[in-house]
Amino acid sequence: MAYLLIVDDDLDFASAVSTVLSNKGYEIAIETDCAQALDRIRRQRPDAVILDVMFPENDKAGFEIARAIRREFGELPVLLLTAVNQSFPLGFSNKDLDPTWLPAVEFVEKPVDFAVLTAKISSILAAAKG
Amino acid sequence: MAETVWAAYDLPLQVRTGSEPVDAPPTLAESDDLILLQNEAWFCTLRWLVIAALCALALAGWATTAAFPLPGIRLDPLWPPAVAAVLLFLNLTYLAMIRKATRSARRSVLAERGLWLQIGLDLAVLTVVVHFLGSLDTFAPFMYLFHIVLACIFLPYAQSLLVTLLAMGMYLICLILEGTGAVAPQSVLIGAMCGERAVSLTVAAWQFGSVAFVSATVWYLASRLSRALRQRDAELSAINRRLVAATEERAGHMLQTTHQLKAPFAAIHANTQLLLGGHCGALPAPAVAVIEQIATRCEMLSRGIKSMLQLANLRSQAQHPPAPVAVDLAALIQSCLAALKPQAAKRGIEFEEQLSPAPVQVVPDHAAMIIDNILSNAINYSRDGQRISVSSRAKADGGAAVVVRDRGIGIPPDKLPRIFDDYFRTTEAVKHNRASTGLGLAIVRQSALSGAIGVRVESAAGQGTVFFLDFPRSPDHLETTN
Repeated sequence: MAYLLIVDDDLDFASAVSTVLSNKGYEIAIETDCAQALDRIRRQRPDAVILDVMFPENDKAGFEIARAIRREFGELPVLLLTAVNQSFPLGFSNKDLDPTWLPAVEFVEKPVDFAVLTAKISSILAAAKG
Repeated sequence: MAETVWAAYDLPLQVRTGSEPVDAPPTLAESDDLILLQNEAWFCTLRWLVIAALCALALAGWATTAAFPLPGIRLDPLWPPAVAAVLLFLNLTYLAMIRKATRSARRSVLAERGLWLQIGLDLAVLTVVVHFLGSLDTFAPFMYLFHIVLACIFLPYAQSLLVTLLAMGMYLICLILEGTGAVAPQSVLIGAMCGERAVSLTVAAWQFGSVAFVSATVWYLASRLSRALRQRDAELSAINRRLVAATEERAGHMLQTTHQLKAPFAAIHANTQLLLGGHCGALPAPAVAVIEQIATRCEMLSRGIKSMLQLANLRSQAQHPPAPVAVDLAALIQSCLAALKPQAAKRGIEFEEQLSPAPVQVVPDHAAMIIDNILSNAINYSRDGQRISVSSRAKADGGAAVVVRDRGIGIPPDKLPRIFDDYFRTTEAVKHNRASTGLGLAIVRQSALSGAIGVRVESAAGQGTVFFLDFPRSPDHLETTN
């Protein structure tokens, strides 16, 4: 089964997501720190990354990790957990949100509907396999 | 039975559309240049009045010479139209220079140069007028005060002093030329002391001294007053800039804080789903009921926070509005309906759909927010088991029309103009539905203004409400049809 990495500073939320996805049969790891998350991706190469956007140290850290993933790992699927989209940018510039530039393949809005989340994970994993 | 009163309200629409580029406000230096050019244009307007006065003087000169001689006055009908013609030429030249400077990248230099050209030539023309009216016998030299006062109002301290010295210098040259006999002294007063006689040096010195003293006094008083006003204006501008910056900063902090509020609710919501989904094992029915209550209240709060964030982002001036793209409103409405139908079905509310393709150029999320909020309101303020009509169609002119009609509690006519205000809810609405945030129609207003989308609402208390949305034709359509 696919190995997913959840990167979110809110451990309560990440644990809930992890429980649901584990019950769906996915292998799950959680990272609450951005730098360690990149380190783990380098070491373990998950099948997909589920990524929050705002972190305590930097409210755009999720975007930065997403770009670092694209640079280092090519087409590794990234799913962003956020209410951010093109017309709802929370003060981020449009360049940050350009979907052709930001290497997230999917956005899921918080609070997360688990049915939507699991459906999107299935679709990005299927797309990644080709 | 009393007749039902239907009232209508059209949301005022700003001229600006969301697709227009948002121009950066002019910088301080740019706005100073523009103000200077505006002032120069105003001087040109004043000059038209002077030209008119000179023409009137010429007419008066002609009339008094020909038929109605005035006792003690001799008006020469030749020099006023000659001076007026010179001023007319100069004024047209100045206006052309102002137009050129406004469009030029060297606006600052051209504006400054134009101003001093106007000042210098105007003083020279005035000196000619003073000479013909009478440089010693009349109060004409005090007309320099008009220039001095204007300079005090519009120019910095040192520059207004320069204008005063320039005016006095020109007056002195006039007196010297007359005194040395280079030009013959003139006067409109018959039998004046210097008319056709040599100018007495002593009289000229006293006259010049008097004019210079009055001019210097006026310059000192007017420039002091003007400097105090300018200082106060600068202070107020600085305070205003700080206030704007503080307001923007506070709005940014509020936005971040509100966003951070989402995180705990996202966690609570996720955990309630975890429990209700049976991921932590079976729960007794009373526990499920309690968790469902928690989930419902959490969802309400999340919805409220989302609305606040949407509204704050729509209002944020810092960001450029996203570019509109081609959207079929019928498909967008179907997508919104798909998300809302389960909620409506719980109350037995059904939709009558007449959705024809309605292609428009809009920001998809803005259009979705408008339609989603209006449909949500239609559900919220319908009575159980009622029907809601939704239609969309393309308009002949290239735009599209959407109509949402409910048969619910309606809106009293006097409340209609306020329904788009933040947090405004009628008493009837609060009684009927406690869960609404009161921000839905404020989001509709902001999105509609951003995209120049017309919103008309018709309602009758107890009978229902109809929203008419008028999506404008796109700029592309305008280009192709033109």
